Amino acid sequence: MEISCLPISASHRAKLLSAGYTTLSSLSSVSPPQLSRDLNVALQEAVDILKVSSESCRVEVQDGAVEFCKGAQTAWDMLSEEQALRHISTGSGDLDSILGGGIHCKEVTEIGGVPGIGKTQLGIQLAINVQIPYDFGGLGGKAIYIDTEGSFMAERAYQIAEASILDTFDNFGCQLKEIPEKLKAESFLANIFYFRICSYTEQIALINYLDQFLVEHKDVKIVIIDSVTFHFRQDFDDLALRTRVLGGMSQKLMNLAKKFSLSVVLMNQVTTKFTEGSFHLTLALGDSWSHSCTNRVILYWNGNDRYAYLDKSPYLRPASVHFSVTGKGIRDATSQCKRVRMM
Amino acid sequence: MPPLKNLEVEFPIIDANFQLFCASNGIFSVEDFLVHDIYALTVLADREANSEVLKQGIAQVHSIVDKLHQPWFNGLELLEDVNQNKYFLSTGCEGIDKLLGGGLRQGQLTEIVGPSSSGKTQVCLCTALHVADKNLGAVMYLDTCNSFSPKRIADMISQYSNDFIKEGKERRLNRIMRSIICRSVFDIFELLGVLNELASASEHKVKNLGTRLCLLIIDSISFLVTPILGGKDSQGRMLMSSCGTLLKKLANEHNISVLVTNHMVRGEGGILKPALGESWKSIPHVQLQLSCDRVRNICQATVLKHTFMASGVPAEFAIHE
Repeated sequence: MEISCLPISASHRAKLLSAGYTTLSSLSSVSPPQLSRDLNVALQEAVDILKVSSESCRVEVQDGAVEFCKGAQTAWDMLSEEQALRHISTGSGDLDSILGGGIHCKEVTEIGGVPGIGKTQLGIQLAINVQIPYDFGGLGGKAIYIDTEGSFMAERAYQIAEASILDTFDNFGCQLKEIPEKLKAESFLANIFYFRICSYTEQIALINYLDQFLVEHKDVKIVIIDSVTFHFRQDFDDLALRTRVLGGMSQKLMNLAKKFSLSVVLMNQVTTKFTEGSFHLTLALGDSWSHSCTNRVILYWNGNDRYAYLDKSPYLRPASVHFSVTGKGIRDATSQCKRVRMM
Repeated sequence: MPPLKNLEVEFPIIDANFQLFCASNGIFSVEDFLVHDIYALTVLADREANSEVLKQGIAQVHSIVDKLHQPWFNGLELLEDVNQNKYFLSTGCEGIDKLLGGGLRQGQLTEIVGPSSSGKTQVCLCTALHVADKNLGAVMYLDTCNSFSPKRIADMISQYSNDFIKEGKERRLNRIMRSIICRSVFDIFELLGVLNELASASEHKVKNLGTRLCLLIIDSISFLVTPILGGKDSQGRMLMSSCGTLLKKLANEHNISVLVTNHMVRGEGGILKPALGESWKSIPHVQLQLSCDRVRNICQATVLKHTFMASGVPAEFAIHE
């Protein structure tokens, strides 16, 4: 393996190369003091370089199930693991069914739409629904809500939580008197970790910190960012830099989703794009960004009705479905609870 | 290649004295030695007190270098090797196979480019299961976007099975799913690490699977490269090219077929072009572009670059449930 493949700083790499160390094998027999003398760097730096290199060249030939490489799984094992996973309900059965049962864990789902279509409502609904106890068909997890626009409303969350608890009990035919303490709307709200973000640097810093936070809070099952777009549309002039920063951020989110087996939901805004002689609406942040989510759902108006369209998914067909936002939260569309659109 | 001092153990003639002489001429490794003017070095050695020993040392390093180069083949041998060892792995999609002259070639790097949700992952999953089904070897799937879906593969397997297959449904599913191995990769260094691991694992003859690796899929490679590309320093571009070199080396030395996916960006005038720029363009042997017509639900594949097939002819295919 070449030195150039090591995750070390560019200056260390240049020093290694000029001192004649071009491959990992050439580093294998060097002691730290020797290396620090050859490279003219501090002893600690030499120790760090050797540590990185020894980690990279380790080849384990053991009798594991998969020997090709560490951390790999066969599709068979993954299938049975996936079948055991539960999904987070959106509150609307129709919407759940086009999503294959709800929002999936270990995946990044992007939800986009025009202002007022119900992105934040769906976000709050998911933060509540993830907490439905395991015995009642939910995940019994906690939620992280990252608010960049300041649109999270605690009263509304309380309202949705109460309705969600009532509906869950209805479905299971329980009496209201039996409600245990932990199934109060108050405790649902207590289990939402809310972060308010005011600039894109804060947003990146928080996402870097999430890894540590999640180690301490293993029961978090959903991370909602409402919206991922806001600050990146305000403060960026250098679009190439923006693409890179966003790419790095989505890599981290993918990693979190997989590592902690949780679901990441990103809200996105819309923008107009000029193609083939006409303007039409599309999700913001550009072409590169559209690859950085596992699933993509677009919410749109059709007349006075709200519709959701599954635009991208590795295992489901594109499909659209009618849903509505009611006092209780996101629900199936029925003729009674149609809201008049504010013009 | 090793620094000169590591050679001392094996070849005593390359002693401290010789190393000192080389170091005074700015030579620390065998590579430095190669780029140095050998005649000038011999002349310099003549001036030293122990010129004979030094010249022997120079001759010794030369003979080490000579042993390093690869053997040569003639065209007939190459043709024979191609006919016997370089199979086409079917993608499971007739139209695409036809475009590619039979499928993915072993020993070659094939790239699929296309905009978001144009069917890239679907082609990858479909190819993985078809290659696994034919018992040609193990399939390694490196997933960077959490989009590897075992459920989708299982669904596809049940779609493709028919009455002619005598094997039991469950057994077939089990067999195919067990020879597809997936690993998540979230940054470029991790990828380089995995590739090196694969290279050394292929040398060590994998015993448990009872088979060798025949297809490596990376979906998507651009997702790993985009965050490090651009800006002032060239570190990102260097990592990208060493990744490309490593992939081609792996493909060539172990007769593996490599399939990577790449996204598309809007270039000048809003025309879509493959991402990762000009320097990546030379890496894949074969480049296939996908596009999808959502209204008609028809996907289209076009060859952008191929080693022997004509490019520019489109083929249509559909993604079924």
